[in-house]
Amino acid sequence: MNRALVIGGSADALVAAHVLARAGREVIVIEGGKAPADEGWVPGKVLRELRLEGLRLQWPDPWIAVPLPGGGRLELRRDMARSIESIRRASPRDAARWPAFCKRMARLARFLEALYAAAPPDPLSLGFALRARRLGKQGLTDLLRILPMPVAELLDDWFESDALKGALGAAGVLHLLQGPRSGGTAFRLLHHHVGCPPGVFRPARSNVLELLRKLPRVELEHAEVLRIAVRGGAVAGVILKNGRELAASVVVSSADPRRSLLELVEPGWLDPEFVRALRHVRRRGVAARIGIQLDRAPGFTALALAPSLDYLERAYDDAKYGRLSQLPYLEARCDEQHRLDVHVQYAPYGADCSRLGDRVLALLSEHWGDAAPREGELVAPRELEETEGWPEGQPHHVELSLDQALWMRPLPELARYRTPIHGLWLCGPGMHPGAGVAGAAGFNCAHAILGR
Amino acid sequence: MPKHDVVIIGGGHNGLVCAAYLARAGRKALVLERRERVGGAAVTEEVFPGFRFSVFSYVVSLLRPEIIRDLELPRHGLHILPLESTITPLENSDYLAQWNDHDQNRRELARHSLRDAEAYDEFGLMLHQMARAIKPLLAMAPPDPTSLSFRELMGMKQLAEHLRALGAKRFHTLHKLLTMSAADFLDEWFETGALKATKSASGIIGTLAGPRSPGTAYVLLHHYMGELDGVFRAWGFARGGNGSVSAAIAGAALAAGAEIRCNASVEKVLVSHGRARGVVLEGGEEIRAKTVVSGADPRRTFMQLVGEKHLPGEFADSIRRFRFRGASAKVNLALGEAPDFTCLPGRGAHLRGAISISPSVEYLERAYDDAKYGEVSRRPYMDIVIPSMIDPAMAPPGKHVMSIFVQYAPYQVNGGWTDARREALGDAVIDTLARYAPNLKNAILHRQVVTPADIERIVGLAEGNIFQGELTLQQMFFLRPVPAWAKYRTPLAGLYQCGAGTHPGGGVMGASGRNAALAILGSA
Repeated sequence: MNRALVIGGSADALVAAHVLARAGREVIVIEGGKAPADEGWVPGKVLRELRLEGLRLQWPDPWIAVPLPGGGRLELRRDMARSIESIRRASPRDAARWPAFCKRMARLARFLEALYAAAPPDPLSLGFALRARRLGKQGLTDLLRILPMPVAELLDDWFESDALKGALGAAGVLHLLQGPRSGGTAFRLLHHHVGCPPGVFRPARSNVLELLRKLPRVELEHAEVLRIAVRGGAVAGVILKNGRELAASVVVSSADPRRSLLELVEPGWLDPEFVRALRHVRRRGVAARIGIQLDRAPGFTALALAPSLDYLERAYDDAKYGRLSQLPYLEARCDEQHRLDVHVQYAPYGADCSRLGDRVLALLSEHWGDAAPREGELVAPRELEETEGWPEGQPHHVELSLDQALWMRPLPELARYRTPIHGLWLCGPGMHPGAGVAGAAGFNCAHAILGR
Repeated sequence: MPKHDVVIIGGGHNGLVCAAYLARAGRKALVLERRERVGGAAVTEEVFPGFRFSVFSYVVSLLRPEIIRDLELPRHGLHILPLESTITPLENSDYLAQWNDHDQNRRELARHSLRDAEAYDEFGLMLHQMARAIKPLLAMAPPDPTSLSFRELMGMKQLAEHLRALGAKRFHTLHKLLTMSAADFLDEWFETGALKATKSASGIIGTLAGPRSPGTAYVLLHHYMGELDGVFRAWGFARGGNGSVSAAIAGAALAAGAEIRCNASVEKVLVSHGRARGVVLEGGEEIRAKTVVSGADPRRTFMQLVGEKHLPGEFADSIRRFRFRGASAKVNLALGEAPDFTCLPGRGAHLRGAISISPSVEYLERAYDDAKYGEVSRRPYMDIVIPSMIDPAMAPPGKHVMSIFVQYAPYQVNGGWTDARREALGDAVIDTLARYAPNLKNAILHRQVVTPADIERIVGLAEGNIFQGELTLQQMFFLRPVPAWAKYRTPLAGLYQCGAGTHPGGGVMGASGRNAALAILGSA
């Protein structure tokens, strides 16, 4: 039996499926539930191997816009000159520093891009040391210093404008149960910079799923997985919720590692120590989504309420104790039908979100002029868990922090995509390199399966 | 021809250690101390008649055993009395005790959680292994990862080999300790809130960060590195207070031929042609020497004593970015009677150990929340010892001295530190503590409150940071204090640093002083 089953319809799952299919395996992709949303930047290696052509990357422009206290907005865009012009209104000194900052960060992001396009490196190997050295003296120093830093300290080193620091600080805490003064958040800022042009710290959206779905050779099955069947410590196939059983010698799951190993696999096959470690993997969701239909254009396409680092930190303070932020960090985007899509942080998993909608409307209504909301819909982390398959509402499946990144992701024992169950492999965002990089985990996983 | 080979700025414990090692190698070393006594932050002072206090640092544990051995400190009067327990009073009038005695400790933990009692030994073993893994790094000058010189490359190779020899499991644990928050790390081991809080408290000492902030797990390990009598994590008092640690080191330095001058405040480092040539004292006296070593913190050393104009721009920028942000204060009390804790009434053995006001992780985190926005914690974390219970000579008969380490008291307090602020801090500390020991208020004869601003003013530590610079991952090892300048040298030829602002950092370790001396001896 040379068949491989791939669970999930994400870019990671499809990339893994196609890499295996190209190597001559019979592959079935089991896509269940809702089709995943657009995904982002794809490493060049993946595009080349699968001969994917016509990838379009898109960033909202401006990618962030923060209201300034004296009126107007600080807008950060792809266009360096326009960003500088906008920053100048908040602080001429910061505007002068912006290009140098972007250049330093971009160099580090390029380094991460290379790391993300392959299985996690061995940190003590000569190869890794040589690669890090290629960053040069300043780049290497930046890397060592910045990765463990609080994003607030990094920004304080460079800038003085609260609005600019708020806008960038938000990128350091996006979907993370930490505040900008917590260590390791500068790494998150860099993570969101991967695949982006200089000056953009927000993952792209792309048409990669559309391209992947057009590829031949892979069979699709629309069904929900009930169990991963294991016999004698090796994977035997998958049992679907509709009662069908599919036999296979290889199963690749893009579901989160804990669900894959502790829920889909029947208990008893794993070492209790390992299970304990897996249960300690942190994956706390912190954001809700609100959709609001306005009756007319609100006067902005993008608006973020992240006026300062202290504002973000205070929003986190509430969440630290399990409560909704009194004054949450909001990021709203408006489409042409005047529909606002709002990211609301912090709304910790399990907190009562019933009054959150009113709070958000009150905060946003100050910015949308005469527009009036017709209807709104709130999606709490608990619902995101169900609809999107995000454990505890966490889109990264496994919190991306320095202790759960690279060779530690999600656990050192699983970092090379292999599980203790023979023939069962993992490839979702819970694996290296994590959410925001489309297809890389699937690509690395498939190559590991093929022994490359 | 200068009379001295080496002049050392500052007679703190690191300066003295450095002088002692240099003198033993035959160098003519002169230590210049601004105050009337040596010791820096490790001093004993009779603040109130008959009551003697370790005014700043108050326990010993991290002092490197090789230094105790090499300098024969016991012969020079160092005598360490062990601290046998840590008691955490709880808000429900119960307490959590950790005893040095294994069986007693296990029984006590089992009272709170059988699971934690089981996990405790394994946790201890794990930290012990981690401390052993780090230990060789403390005694080395960190290699420079950005240099391509053969020596530095070999240094990096050896470092990689050392880490590889730990094996995958331990290496990964070390990675977690370096990157996790103390609270998250402890959550993987224990369930008792007070145990997690008291253990995570050692991860926040000296740092303006809460137990949930990543990076604090390492500080926990740093404080675990104590090696008294070969036992990791043994804390003790120096008989006669922490001043006697300094006195013993000074004794060793003098015996080896070093010279020590007190009341000698250095105003400037003499620089000419890119080289340090000596120092100028307040009053204008010039003392020339081939080598100048600064035990002052990096900011004072470079921004004040050397001056920016003698430094490369990028180096000066890095020094400016080096973070201090002192977060700790001390309250020293002279007591008419011993405190009586509601949770453990009477004068039991618990008074001979440490008392930790850290009932829960949330308590610590809330204390941090206040400080984050420039306020003193309304309910602060405290680490308390009563030296007179073990060393009766510290107080008049029947009376006691109590040393209270307080966190958080941010240096950058809103409105700045004033006398009223200082007294308010003292009141908050005593009010909080009196909830656990109601007789305290009436027992107080005198009190001394030392704020971070006082520490800066009296001892000279920038922003009152007890480690001469925050001990965070981005300011550690080859990044301390400045990347590529972590080997005790500076961009000025002939100028070295030996304070805790260099690797491996603070805590009355002496390692910086020793490593600096070895670097100086190795380069000549």
